[in-house]
Amino acid sequence: MAILTGRYGSVMYTPGTPPGGVEAEIISLNAWKADFSADYEDVTAFGDTNKVYVPGLPDVSGSLGGFWNSAELTLFHAAVATVPGTLKLTPNKNEATFFWEGLAYIDASIDCTLAVPKVSGNFKAAGPWTGPDGNVL
Amino acid sequence: MPRDSGELDAALVGLLQGDAALTALQPDGVWLDDVPPGAQRFVMVAVLEATDGATFGAGRAFEVVRYRVTAVGHTAVVTGPEIRAAALRIDTLLQDAALTVGGYPAGVTIARLGRVRLLEVDDEDRSLRWYHRGGVYELFAPN
Repeated sequence: MAILTGRYGSVMYTPGTPPGGVEAEIISLNAWKADFSADYEDVTAFGDTNKVYVPGLPDVSGSLGGFWNSAELTLFHAAVATVPGTLKLTPNKNEATFFWEGLAYIDASIDCTLAVPKVSGNFKAAGPWTGPDGNVL
Repeated sequence: MPRDSGELDAALVGLLQGDAALTALQPDGVWLDDVPPGAQRFVMVAVLEATDGATFGAGRAFEVVRYRVTAVGHTAVVTGPEIRAAALRIDTLLQDAALTVGGYPAGVTIARLGRVRLLEVDDEDRSLRWYHRGGVYELFAPN
């Protein structure tokens, strides 16, 4: 175990339709971010000496980013899909058993300027997700 | 195996060196990094900045190289209008150029980011000057 670079990260996607779709890497991406923060309910009562909270369910949402590549349209196909696909986010493929995975809806956008056009997308969970230890989040 | 980025420099310099009109205007040659002693009317190429774009899986996805390309001339042998003509010839060759470069199957493109114009006092004879005219050019090379 060591701290590894994100240079060998990956974003894999399996379309939701047709069922049994093939998992493939979304190429030309160079960033992803996932957020599992929970909402907290304030349950502070008379007599408490500090505020007290109870967590709700963790969120599962995040973003993807990279460069526009006309050979890679997965992100834009996913953005208009009515059935969620399976997203698999790996920090470093040299530790291929450590990843987050689950059903997700994805949107997509493109930012085209005089520099290299960039693509990005946001995702939100559409079902249960598993974490890097294989457990449900 | 990574691509040989030196091929990018060689392609740009080669394009300039192969142009008879530019050679006629700047007969002391096109030089990268350094110029031989005695040269008074030449084209100078320098790499200002080089950055790579990386992606997951593909590693280096593209290179962006910024070159300063200037026609340089000593006032003892060249006039302002002649240096201006040389700078225009450089721009004609490089602006929107699409080059075939060995090891870069997608080719490369070049565009000017801005122009360069300055007058430098000669170190040995302060009554003389060096003209520098040209531009900063950005080369985009998909890997």
